[in-house]
Amino acid sequence: MIEFISVTKRYPNGAEALKNTNLCIEKGEFVFLVGSSGAGKTTILKLLYRELLPTRGTIKVLGRDVVKLKKREIPFFRRNMGLVFQDFRLLADRNVYENVAFALRVIETPTREIEKRVMESLELVGLKGKVKSKPSELSGGEQQRISLARAIVNQPAIILADEPTGNLDPDTSIDIVNLLRVVNLRGTTVIMATHDQEIVDRLRKRVIEVEDGEIVRDQLKGGYRHEA
Amino acid sequence: MRLRTWAYFIAEAFKSIFRNGWMSLASVGVVIITLFLLGSFMLLNYNIAFLSSDIKSQIEVVAFLDEGVNRSQVDQLYLKITGFEEVEEAVFVSREDALQRLRAQMGEQGYLLEGYEDQGNNPLRDSFEVRTFVPEEVPELAGKIKQLSGVSRVDYGSEVLDRLFTVTRILNWVGVAFMIALGISATFLIANTIKLTVFTRRQEIMIMKMVGASDWFIRWPFVIEGLVLGLLGSLVPVAGLYFGYQYLVEWVNFNIPFLALMPTAEVFQFLLQTLFILGIGLGILGSSFSLRKFLKV
Repeated sequence: MIEFISVTKRYPNGAEALKNTNLCIEKGEFVFLVGSSGAGKTTILKLLYRELLPTRGTIKVLGRDVVKLKKREIPFFRRNMGLVFQDFRLLADRNVYENVAFALRVIETPTREIEKRVMESLELVGLKGKVKSKPSELSGGEQQRISLARAIVNQPAIILADEPTGNLDPDTSIDIVNLLRVVNLRGTTVIMATHDQEIVDRLRKRVIEVEDGEIVRDQLKGGYRHEA
Repeated sequence: MRLRTWAYFIAEAFKSIFRNGWMSLASVGVVIITLFLLGSFMLLNYNIAFLSSDIKSQIEVVAFLDEGVNRSQVDQLYLKITGFEEVEEAVFVSREDALQRLRAQMGEQGYLLEGYEDQGNNPLRDSFEVRTFVPEEVPELAGKIKQLSGVSRVDYGSEVLDRLFTVTRILNWVGVAFMIALGISATFLIANTIKLTVFTRRQEIMIMKMVGASDWFIRWPFVIEGLVLGLLGSLVPVAGLYFGYQYLVEWVNFNIPFLALMPTAEVFQFLLQTLFILGIGLGILGSSFSLRKFLKV
């Protein structure tokens, strides 16, 4: 369902973020992308949601050739994925409900449908009781849960999470990852870039390690570090 | 697109206008100032054109005839002169009529002309007063008439005319240049102001791109915002100029009666639409300019 064929990404400054990379991820998988900062994790995610184009190679997502997407097709392509970031990216001037509903409004979902789906998502992340709160009134963990609720409200096929626990304490981090596991169990493919050793070691999922733009390890039920 | 979506766009536009109240006020202010200047200048330009066409319409060619031309020669000359395609009308003024006119102009001193009435004593010449359709054609026509036999001299106030044409031409060019410069600076200012509005909402735009909103979905609220700002900005100068000009026309009519300004209704027939369209256009153009950069996510 996700396929990288000989993908190279070179930035305008000449840095090679990804070198001739091949990668295949099946539907319903839960994958950790690990590696030091600047290794190429974020580049892989950005290539997947077509914020970046590869310098060379082919990227296939959900049966579509991402490189060949027309400009006007990009928004519709992105509706297949939910994005979660380290910095939450919530709208500070809107309450919890509006932040989640926003994702549906801008793709012109009927109003009745919006209310039903927003409440379902908020229930899943356990914030149904805080619909009227503003993001600033919530803890970091709660804010990330809203961000997750927004990512899944559109029922996407894939969730891409870039260091979603990077700003959170260990207990809260585990809450977030558990929510991602729940989403994964419902059939959504989850790809999570992370530095969080404890979580990776605890979950024992597929681990793809990137180093200097190359995949140095691809291990089912792996840990954060390479284990002989 | 659905009606509900449009309602959403319009609501978003107004929310954003109030959310960034000061910025919106600045944008409207820029539109007001620009259109006010532009409108005043257009009024000035219209009136210069109006006044100069008034003056131009009074310009005519006077062709003095040779002494002793007879009736049939005069008729032939009349046919030749009215035969030129530039000529609107030609009027024959006999030497007797001319003397009468001069006498009337001199008023009380008219008695000085006594004794010149006799056939042999009248010092004046028969003449044709010729009017053209287009004042600019006067010099050339004067040359042609001068060539006709039986015409001794042609007079058309050539220097005054040439100077007038030069002045109106320069004024027109200065006017056009001034308006272009104002238009460019206005677009630039509005684009900059709306860029700030967009900048304060960049997080929102980024999230919209993230969740798959189409470019036009993102663009519309800003375009509507620009449109509303432009419209608001054109209301003030339109109203201000309308009432100001009306007052000016009344004042001039009362105090300087010989200066004929263009009537208010006539001027604003065109000016009204122009200012509204320009205001709206500037707003939309400004917001489109400032959005382009932010949509490349």
